[in-house]
Amino acid sequence: MDELTREFLIESQEGLDRMERCLTDLEARPKDAALLGDIFRSVHTIKGTTGFLGFKRLESLAHAGENLLGLLRDGKLVADRPLITGLLHLLDGLRSILKSIETEASEGEGDDTVLIEQLEELQAPVRFPGAQELSASTTANAKQKACIKAGVKSASMAPPPPALQKAPTPCPAPPPSAPVPVSAPSAKAARTSEPSEVVASPAAPPPVETEPDASRTRPQTAAAGTAAESTLRVDVVLLNRMMNLVGELVLTRNQVLQATAADPNMTLLSRRLDMVTADLRENVMKARMQPVSNIFSKMPRIVRDLSQSLGRRVRLQVEGQDTELDKSLLEAIKDPLTHAVRNSLDHGIEPPEVRQAAGKDPEGTLKLRASHEGSHVIIEVSDDGAGINVEMVRLKAIERGLIAAERAAQLGERELLQLIFLPGFSTAAAVTNVSGRGVGMDVVRTNVEKIGGKVEIDSRPGRGTTLRLRIPLTLAIIPALIVRSVDQSFALPQGALSELVHIPPEQASKAIEWIEGAPLYRLRGKLLPLVFLDRLLVPAGQHKSAIEHDNFIAVLDADGRRYGLVVDGLADPEEIVVKPLSAVLKVIGLYSGATVLGNADLALILDPGAIAQKAGVTMSADREATGAASEEEDSGAAKAMEYLLVEAAGRRAAVPLADVLRIEQIPLSRIEYIGDRPVLNFEGQLMPVEDSGAVLAAAESSAQADHEAQIVVVVCREANRHVGIAVSHVLDVAAGGDLFEAGTSQRTGGVTLLKDRVTGVVNLAGVQPLPSVEEAPENWNQLAEATS
Amino acid sequence: MSTATVLHKKELASALVEVCSVRLGDTWFGVPITHILEIIGAARPQPVPLAPDYVGGLVHYRGDVLTTVSLRQLLDLPPKEGAQAILVLESDGGCFGLLVDAVGEVLTVSSADYEPNPSILDQRRKTLFAGAYKLKEKLLVMLNPERLDPLRLSQAS
Repeated sequence: MDELTREFLIESQEGLDRMERCLTDLEARPKDAALLGDIFRSVHTIKGTTGFLGFKRLESLAHAGENLLGLLRDGKLVADRPLITGLLHLLDGLRSILKSIETEASEGEGDDTVLIEQLEELQAPVRFPGAQELSASTTANAKQKACIKAGVKSASMAPPPPALQKAPTPCPAPPPSAPVPVSAPSAKAARTSEPSEVVASPAAPPPVETEPDASRTRPQTAAAGTAAESTLRVDVVLLNRMMNLVGELVLTRNQVLQATAADPNMTLLSRRLDMVTADLRENVMKARMQPVSNIFSKMPRIVRDLSQSLGRRVRLQVEGQDTELDKSLLEAIKDPLTHAVRNSLDHGIEPPEVRQAAGKDPEGTLKLRASHEGSHVIIEVSDDGAGINVEMVRLKAIERGLIAAERAAQLGERELLQLIFLPGFSTAAAVTNVSGRGVGMDVVRTNVEKIGGKVEIDSRPGRGTTLRLRIPLTLAIIPALIVRSVDQSFALPQGALSELVHIPPEQASKAIEWIEGAPLYRLRGKLLPLVFLDRLLVPAGQHKSAIEHDNFIAVLDADGRRYGLVVDGLADPEEIVVKPLSAVLKVIGLYSGATVLGNADLALILDPGAIAQKAGVTMSADREATGAASEEEDSGAAKAMEYLLVEAAGRRAAVPLADVLRIEQIPLSRIEYIGDRPVLNFEGQLMPVEDSGAVLAAAESSAQADHEAQIVVVVCREANRHVGIAVSHVLDVAAGGDLFEAGTSQRTGGVTLLKDRVTGVVNLAGVQPLPSVEEAPENWNQLAEATS
Repeated sequence: MSTATVLHKKELASALVEVCSVRLGDTWFGVPITHILEIIGAARPQPVPLAPDYVGGLVHYRGDVLTTVSLRQLLDLPPKEGAQAILVLESDGGCFGLLVDAVGEVLTVSSADYEPNPSILDQRRKTLFAGAYKLKEKLLVMLNPERLDPLRLSQAS
């Protein structure tokens, strides 16, 4: 394929994408001249260039479309529903030919006459002002219909004249090359072959009028051309390579920084290197980003087509189109998102009459929303439809044999909702071409998890369903925990990691329990299957059998399976650059890639899902699903009510776990005082330390005995500031229960039932039981600014 | 310059092959330099648990992670302690590294000294070797870089 054709393909595809967007918009605003102009231009550009390149099929199709669009733009036709459907068909037709040019370098053998006829038929109900013309036009229409009925192909009265006049116009600038004269007469011949006498009919839409319009669009396209000059098409392969090299540079920089740390002469230089590298990396990553509008823009069409075929009335709302995401990730979520939208339309939004009966707006709303949240992009698909009927889910799951009836009876609402992610699940009564085949939600979940994302679902009966896709910003760089096993470093993606448990050597034999050779660990009262990484990696008989050293259990959640991976040691978490493995190593299945660590060592990246599978953590579909669901239920419910149990000078108190950022053990000397208020200079900022339990005083008095006085500070997030709480010990993490006041049965605030004991909850907002720090945030911030 | 000498030179050039010699144990092997991208000295590949035996581990090479093939393993020699040299070879499927004990020099050998594989070699060696050049003081066993590609090896095994 030559450069010119390639360029043409890319340009045309972009034009068609734009046209698709405009067409769906047009339905809402049929009179919008700018939109019509845009659509016309897309088709016109394709037609012009094809004539030049000699793609005849494409040309005649584009031509038919252009005629119709010309009428539309001149206000002779109104963009009603059948017309837009016709134009969408034209779009599909053009796309399929472009595709065949791309893959086979030829237009293919398809027959477009039906489509062209359809387009021409749409031109028919032209109404001109003036009775005379009107009657004339109706007779012409009758004639035309007769022609079509008689099986006369193509060639209504309208197209030929423009074909005659316009075909040469697109290419006056370049010297008339061979294909142009050839294609023009042939197109003409195809058209004018038969009813040439009809052309004279006065009812024909004045063909001359399209002519000046065509020339009018010319300067506009030229203007678009200059705007395009400030951007550049870059091969994705090249971008990937750049990303790789930048990763390499980051690594080298790390080593340079380490090597030059001692040399003051180099400090300035290496700092500069540091900055430039960070900047470069950020920009290369930016270059790979594309706005989500690239996939959102496909949705109006899908929604339109589906709602028509399903008989729904749906309004699509799109928010956060500018949110950017790595190109490869964008590609990866295209299918899941389409599935989710289909699902919403098919299962979520009810038919208009049902909605009306329920007292809702007959027109349903489907909302697509993209936003940033930390290092993730959240994409929400929400509808205001019927919501998910959990009882139906229960019945269907049993009916399809996905879960045992007695188990299903025990499941709560949240757990039941999770069942829709099982492969083979469908609530649709009948299989339609839209959905009901039982593939869908499991595909959504699998695809999203494959790229390190998560799917959450939230549904309220009668109010609607929200599906939330949580997508990492980039695939190339992921946060990972570096673990040690068999004297090697491995990277464990943090997305799958839920917690870490340390088992000291003396407890190892007691803490790990066995059922017939299967190791288990009691994690807060529940049995957690364990996988020993060293035993998995080293063939049986060769590994050191001793577990009498430090063991760390990394509790992992992968594809709904939960297990503990036992490793020998932990190193720091790192942001790692993922590098692909060669095919030979990929087939091992346990590794999803490799990476280079800060110390220039290589580490293999473990694939938690594959490890679970290999170690046999896979359970039967039934148990697996319910296990996963109940686990998720657990963590979901616990998030709201889990507390960190602390002890401050003999008193027990609870801190909401969700607010705890981390727990720091610091020497007492790091606590400084402003007035009589203890503060901690923390990462260059002052953080107020609450000491209602007089822990500091107690520690100070004990410090005289042994001068290494250490205190524990629980760092919490409160609104938008950080607060430290001085405690003597951190005891445990436990789920708290609500307490009700006797008599009134009102829920009590500030206390919770932890481990069967009534425990005061530390009110971080500063009311009780700690003395108020209400006015503190501003004061402390000012102080921090003043001191820094 | 006469036409005769030009012809003679051309003949000579076509008969000469540039070969990089590498040592493994006591044997010298040759790799056509046209297949070599780079030579990395003193590398310590990171072992990959559960990988096929012939995989010598991973090395970091120009921003990518390179799979290496251990020639010692392939020829059933005991593994060598310490650092090894790596030839980065190019093949259809991409690049891979070949772990050898040491890299010698680039020799120019003449096709006149070439002999195909002797028939007494076992099947595996027959596929890996591509004949030998008889040098004055030693034999230079030619390796077939295409056959050493880990992908080919995995298909063979």
